[in-house]
Amino acid sequence: MTERLPLPYGSRIKRDAPVGARFDGRELPALEGDTVASALVASGHWVISRSFKYHRPRGPLTMAGHDANTLVQTPAAPNRLADELPITDYPETSAQNISGSLMADRNAVIDWFGRFLPVGFYYRAFYKPFGVWHWWERMIRKAAGLGVANLSATPRYQDKQYLFCDVTVVGAGPAGLSAALKAAEGGASVLLIDEQPELGGSLTYHRFAIDNAPVQSEAETLIANVASHPRIRVLTHALCNGWFTDHYLPVIQGDRLFKVRAKSCVLATGSSEQHVVFRNNDLPGVVLCSALERLLSHYAVSPQGKLVVLAGNDQAWLTALTAAEAGLSVGAVVDLRDAPDDAALLAEANARGMTVHTGATVYTAQRDAESQSLCGVDIHRIDARGEVGELTAQHDCAVLAMSAGFMPAYQLACQAGAKLDYDDDRAVFTLSGLPAGLFLAGSVNSTHSLDVVLADGRNAARAALRYIDMTADEDESAACAAQVNHPWPIFPHPKGREFVDFDEDLQIKDIVNATRLGYRDVQLVKRYSTVGMGPSQGRHAALLTARLVAKATERTVSETGVTTARPPVKPEALGHLAGRRFHPHRHTAIADRHDAEGAQWMPAGLWGRPAFYGEPHHKQRCVAEEVTAVRTGVGVIDVSTLGGIELRGPDAAEFMNRFYTSGFLKQSVGRTRYAVLVSEQGVVIDDGVAARLAEDHFYVTATTGGVDRVYREMLRWNAQWRLSLDIANVTAAFSAINIAGPNSRAVLEALGCSIDLSADAFPYLGCREGDVAGVPARLMRVGFVGELGYELHVPSLFAAALWDAVTKAGAQWHIKPFGVEAQRLLRLEKGHIILGQDTDGMTHPGEVGLDWAMNRSKPDFVGRRSVDILAGSVPIRQLVGFSLDLTAPKPLEGHLVIKDGGIVGNVTSCEISPTLNRIIGLAYAHPDDASPGDRIAIRTEGGVLVQARVEALPFYDPDNARQAL
Amino acid sequence: MSLRSPLEGIGVVEGPAGLRLSDLTLAHREGVRGAGAREWLLSQGHALQDAPSQIVASGELGLVMSLSHREFWLLQPDSEASTGRPASEAVAAGVWPFYCQHSHAWLQLAGEPRAEIMAKLCGVDLSEAAFPLGSVAQTQVARVSVIIAAHQSENDHPVFSMFVDQSLARYLWEAIEDAMGEWLE
Repeated sequence: MTERLPLPYGSRIKRDAPVGARFDGRELPALEGDTVASALVASGHWVISRSFKYHRPRGPLTMAGHDANTLVQTPAAPNRLADELPITDYPETSAQNISGSLMADRNAVIDWFGRFLPVGFYYRAFYKPFGVWHWWERMIRKAAGLGVANLSATPRYQDKQYLFCDVTVVGAGPAGLSAALKAAEGGASVLLIDEQPELGGSLTYHRFAIDNAPVQSEAETLIANVASHPRIRVLTHALCNGWFTDHYLPVIQGDRLFKVRAKSCVLATGSSEQHVVFRNNDLPGVVLCSALERLLSHYAVSPQGKLVVLAGNDQAWLTALTAAEAGLSVGAVVDLRDAPDDAALLAEANARGMTVHTGATVYTAQRDAESQSLCGVDIHRIDARGEVGELTAQHDCAVLAMSAGFMPAYQLACQAGAKLDYDDDRAVFTLSGLPAGLFLAGSVNSTHSLDVVLADGRNAARAALRYIDMTADEDESAACAAQVNHPWPIFPHPKGREFVDFDEDLQIKDIVNATRLGYRDVQLVKRYSTVGMGPSQGRHAALLTARLVAKATERTVSETGVTTARPPVKPEALGHLAGRRFHPHRHTAIADRHDAEGAQWMPAGLWGRPAFYGEPHHKQRCVAEEVTAVRTGVGVIDVSTLGGIELRGPDAAEFMNRFYTSGFLKQSVGRTRYAVLVSEQGVVIDDGVAARLAEDHFYVTATTGGVDRVYREMLRWNAQWRLSLDIANVTAAFSAINIAGPNSRAVLEALGCSIDLSADAFPYLGCREGDVAGVPARLMRVGFVGELGYELHVPSLFAAALWDAVTKAGAQWHIKPFGVEAQRLLRLEKGHIILGQDTDGMTHPGEVGLDWAMNRSKPDFVGRRSVDILAGSVPIRQLVGFSLDLTAPKPLEGHLVIKDGGIVGNVTSCEISPTLNRIIGLAYAHPDDASPGDRIAIRTEGGVLVQARVEALPFYDPDNARQAL
Repeated sequence: MSLRSPLEGIGVVEGPAGLRLSDLTLAHREGVRGAGAREWLLSQGHALQDAPSQIVASGELGLVMSLSHREFWLLQPDSEASTGRPASEAVAAGVWPFYCQHSHAWLQLAGEPRAEIMAKLCGVDLSEAAFPLGSVAQTQVARVSVIIAAHQSENDHPVFSMFVDQSLARYLWEAIEDAMGEWLE
């Protein structure tokens, strides 16, 4: 490692905190505060990566994480930018996209054959002869991949958080700082965001004047005032990666994605310094002026060897002065112009003994074979726009710092709908057409003189304050006349390799040739050439491309424009978008009891329900035992997931009568009735049991997955009917258990029940309210599983106590908890359908044997007209029961019913019945085959057709004697 | 017969700066709803605000939380829930009891960073400036429906009371506890 510069250089590093790091397997001396890139350059290693297409050696260009030249591999992830990776967090990194080693990449041979790989070559090759593409595709995919995803890496905890503020300021450079301070002083809560680790932006590295001391003093004061202001929240190392409507901003900081909700937004995102286009302008050691300034100021890295500065503006001259003061040997300052705008700069350079070439450019950069980095430059006189004359000088150098101007960091503004216009006089793009509440400040607003930038920031804050109805004083003048852009820093070379877009290895001819092939629109040029599609997203290529396309198509730069900017501004990890996973799951109040009984869980919407109890590998046996317990003794099941809706009021019965298909006006208090709901299209969409608890009080169950829809429909209909009742979704308020089996009455009696449970006093389909084991309960006699059974609905906080009491009281009858699997089998034996399983989005009542539940003697019900139309049409399918011997292949749900080679239906339910010792099921069949004794052909696994016998329903207890005990 | 909270056995989560997540599910609450609910509550001596989505102290009667012009919950954090049969009959013309004692779990979050914690789970700005004491929001927290009320606790500390479908109580508790993690380290 070379010696670092003394203080005040190196604002980010801790000189007394060395870090043992490695790059590509080699020791990499570093200091805390270094990035991987700064440590490499400090060690004299300019080469960090290989280019995407030609595998040319590449080194840092911006030192700000704004270019793809520094993409490296970390142990956990590829494609990380070495100039923004803290060395302390990433001590182990390596080169990527190489075959062999970084310095001896076998794929570098591609560079020699570059002329045979013109832009878009893959669109015109590889598809002839027919079928050859599949061979090429493998090759291309292998060659095109960047880095290696570590599939065994442990995912980090990444989450999201909302942030709220009055004004968000994006960018904490001079404009952003002054805007934030002004907005906060005006009373606004301010969020100040910057992707760099400290406040200040260019104030932390750039020289704004020959005598920079007053600027530094002012900057320190400004930064301190912002940092200490109570209404300013600062997020550094934070990337605002998009702008969405109403100033909704995703901001990434570390492992967190902030979702910022701002009332107003100031973009002080600055500008991207632009490079000069000449042969070999991509060599490691060729950097932007700001990159050199960052190396000096932030990391105290003084690159070895001579420096040449290539200036398209006065800022580059200031860089030369900064470098000279830091001790670098400035070999020459080469200005594309005839002279700097500020004559004092020329005088200062002369006074320092610098060699100056004006009206000239670096035409070719020379490469050192060993280091594969810059070793010299050829300087030519500029004769005309983009044309050079004779060689005027050659300089040995290890570093070339260049600045051709600045491009506003337009991405966020353009995402918000701003338009870029080209100012021919200043050769700059300017932004206009911002949405309400969004304001620009600083160099993104094409102001560059520091005083003007600061004023522009304050003006933006004033505008933001006014936008959110806060007071602000008068605006101040913020007109900027600084000329920072050279109009044509593009110098084609006969041998090419003058790069416009480093990400995609695109040269001048690639852009021009795209227009010659007919892709004249800049959007088409982008898609054909891939310019701007790399990680840099056109930061350094957009302006150059616009100029080249404009010239090639004989249009103005404004007419040409730039390509659409879309989020994200910079690449982002999918983990940030995913954040912390939220998977809501609902548990009944008895869930822990089921766990204790060995429940195997299954999902039912958001609910978890016990599928069965016992070991998973004994599922069939466990289910059979549960079924047998219910058929011969007593079982208990948690049915708390059933929906519950309460209808109370004088019009409750009238509402029920209109809403459901059956008649409810004459339903007696203390009785339940099956309630079928059809849609306005006549499709069966839900069912349940309606218990009339009082003249003005119905308690209705709905399916687990359907209750929210039913409740919503009830509210919707009553918004029209305006009936006098209250409708409440009480699903969560009541938990329910079903005690079923011949011994269920005995268990209830043993529990202690305040209700007369005799068959006469509490018959089948009756409902009662009373106390069971001291718990206030609603009891319904139901027969879903085909046995004597009681459904107990109790306030949810009592549910666990009731379950405990039931299992304790039922012990003498060997009560057994049963799960959904047994329940489905039991109800199948009984021939009851399950909505959603035995019905689909087209099922109408006649198809599933529910005509009996359509009360046509009442004036109307929801869906009545459609039900009648469907009932009058020719039936095309019918749900039937079927059976098979146990030796037959067991059909699965969804298997097709075939008739005359065509599909006429499908199996909806099918189980092995331990009670009947047969395979039984429900299936849609052709109406001609729906009579008991008919045969239906079911195509089972492997295409095997089985002939099932149609059976009368129910399969079990056809006289309904058992449930009515 | 005893009542059991769906959060039974979880305990409380406590951290610095008064940070505390606790379960008040077994504290007393009852609800009334219907067109005449507001007038009936006023006749019972409760203090009510004109606008809905507010929570106010109603003297010794506890807190009254309005969810709409026709639904109100009466909260008594210091009293135990009733073990009797929840009333279902109308208490007055057009005024029906609602079973919020059993339908919703009651979680309470106290402490300085409570709004910042909730910002990891909820898109509503719950900072004191935007969501002052007395505010009620019916919103989504960690993708489930939650009623959030900002009020003074019995110890005069600002707290968020959160009411969630009791079947989701454990899920929400875990989500909040997870969000609190960085303040507990």
